[in-house]
Amino acid sequence: MSDTAVDKRSVISRTTFAVAGALAALLALFYLLDLQLYAETLSDAAYTAVYVYGIALQPLIAGIILWVAFSFAPGESVRRQWMLIGIAVTMFAIGDVIWMVLELFMGLDPYPSIADIFYSLEYVFFVAAVAFAVKAYSGLVKTRIPLVIGGVVGVVAVAIQYVALLRPYIWAADSGLDGLGVFVSTLYPVGDAIFMIAPAVTLALVIRQLGQGRFAWPWWFVAAGAVVFGLADSWYSYADWAGTGLTAAMDLGWLAANALFAVGALVARDVFKRT
Amino acid sequence: MPDLRSVTVHVLGPLVGEMVADTCVRATALSLGKTADDLLPEDLPTLEANVRRLLGPIAPTSTIDSLIADIEGGAV
Repeated sequence: MSDTAVDKRSVISRTTFAVAGALAALLALFYLLDLQLYAETLSDAAYTAVYVYGIALQPLIAGIILWVAFSFAPGESVRRQWMLIGIAVTMFAIGDVIWMVLELFMGLDPYPSIADIFYSLEYVFFVAAVAFAVKAYSGLVKTRIPLVIGGVVGVVAVAIQYVALLRPYIWAADSGLDGLGVFVSTLYPVGDAIFMIAPAVTLALVIRQLGQGRFAWPWWFVAAGAVVFGLADSWYSYADWAGTGLTAAMDLGWLAANALFAVGALVARDVFKRT
Repeated sequence: MPDLRSVTVHVLGPLVGEMVADTCVRATALSLGKTADDLLPEDLPTLEANVRRLLGPIAPTSTIDSLIADIEGGAV
């Protein structure tokens, strides 16, 4: 076993391993149940239970991140960074709950709806968190080139969204969308590119300069989570519009992304501890 | 006795990487008109101020206090 492996194992607490393991188990269970939901093999009661279970995981994940954020002293920069990520996930969780109430309990079409305000607020708070994090590292490492590369990746990602999704479907004359529908439907794929993928690339290029430094570890989880979120959300938009069919993997994508943020928060708690 | 540069890189390296740790030392040396290898124990206050300034935005104060104590313990 390498020294690095021993080092990492001793730095990461049992609590982090336990909570991350529990989250992985809860998400795996959801995925298995969600497969049954999509296969339409569940009774109405079981369908409702699986639906509610999946939605309930998001507030749980948000709670973990906020718990870690509050463990840092008021006024600390790291508290603000993790608080913003926690609020971002909380916004998504609120959006999910509203979506569930509208669709499952009120029988309404939840798209577009007030839920979209909260879903899109995840972008706002996430970008703010990454911006603060990148700025925090600007005294130690180069940030200009990562910002430029992140921006280029964002533009390329938007171009791909335009060719694959916006032009043929969302902006098509026969999309059937009104002005609000076009705006909301455009916001998600463009938001995934500009507010998730691009910041993730920038963040990864910034913390990469820390090499094996432990302070980079939490942010690797955040960057990975943002990429997963962006890809899952974009895949959902494409599948929905292109009619290729929605899958349990897409539902898992949003959960996995936010769970990666939560694991990042737990790792942050560990790497700052000095014994 | 290990020099201030080695001690600082040894303490900060595992957390921020050796390159960034060395940046903290070189920034201190630059502000004093010295090279990193010429830093002496009496330069510790300036080094501490630089470490706090550079690491303050990325780590809690208690963590930085502990790191500075380790640097002081290894350098004085």
